[in-house]
Amino acid sequence: MHKMYEVMLRQYPLVYASDGRQALDRLREHSDIDLVLLDINMPNMNGLEFLAELRADSGRDGVSVIIISTEGREEDTARGMEAGATAYIKKPFRNEEILDVISRLEKKGAA
Amino acid sequence: MNERSTTESRLSSSAVPGRDLLAELRATLERANDLLRVVETSQQGAAVREAGTAEERISELERRLATADSDVKELASRLVDSEHQGGRLMNLYVATYQLHATLDPAEVQATIAEIAINLLGAEQFVLLLRRDEAPEDEARGYEIALIEGFYDEEQSLYSGDSYTGGDPVVDLTLRDGVLRLGPAAESPALAAVPLRVQNEIVGALVVLKLLDHKPILRGEDRDLLDLLSAHAASAIFAARLFATKDRKLRTLESLVKLARGE
Repeated sequence: MHKMYEVMLRQYPLVYASDGRQALDRLREHSDIDLVLLDINMPNMNGLEFLAELRADSGRDGVSVIIISTEGREEDTARGMEAGATAYIKKPFRNEEILDVISRLEKKGAA
Repeated sequence: MNERSTTESRLSSSAVPGRDLLAELRATLERANDLLRVVETSQQGAAVREAGTAEERISELERRLATADSDVKELASRLVDSEHQGGRLMNLYVATYQLHATLDPAEVQATIAEIAINLLGAEQFVLLLRRDEAPEDEARGYEIALIEGFYDEEQSLYSGDSYTGGDPVVDLTLRDGVLRLGPAAESPALAAVPLRVQNEIVGALVVLKLLDHKPILRGEDRDLLDLLSAHAASAIFAARLFATKDRKLRTLESLVKLARGE
């Protein structure tokens, strides 16, 4: 997925993590991260567990999370949003779906 | 006498012009009345005409507004189409870029899996590649280079490391190189995508199940399948070739070093 995101989101600086635990480490290392693209199915710590830890950290309230997952049932989406996701995109996705959500978040942040 | 006559004459002459003046005044008044009627009539006509013109203008403006509305809708629809097209092309670009961005065979295979899952929405699929070995090994069938989403051990056709035939749609695609979309009565394959290297069929990507929330393959998926058909195998073969040559090069370098006593 790294290369895919690298091409799709080439206008943004990106940091990668291969599981939830590593993603929390990356967030600690890079305090300027303001958006996380998150998969649910990951080894060690899955996306929902990561999200729960992230939302429990009040110092990270400003971080938006877009879940991009193959889990596409309504209850999956509801679970992700309840866990604190900002948006939920089902795979297969199109480039513009992600860019649309990011653009909306940017506008919201700028307003 | 003469003076009297003159006075009478004056009276008489003054009386006649008075009557004339009165008649003239009456005539003038009548003309004025006529003119007034004409003016009033023309004013009414003008008002009616103006009202008519305004209505015409309103309906003309409404027509133009309707045309403009229709144009805006048409443009919006075209914009959506072009954005959609842009998205499709972007996905294809991303897929092609990814396929050819590495010469590591494992990475190329992972890329094919990513394309199949993330861009196509495949949950269960198999990548079959013709074996490089001699023709006598053909009986061993096609190498199962990649298998994804099989949690059921009963899938006998794709168990082990070889596919030796059995799915008529897949077998046909491997023979004639035609991309087939299913499912068909005789085959569970939703898509059998031939893989080509220099117009030679060297394998197939077989999609057996899509993600639950993606009921069917859409028209735009066909572009992606065509792309995989043209690029996936060549990317794998290029990567394998590079890996083989690299390995041979390292062996030769080691031998040279050994020969030199280094």
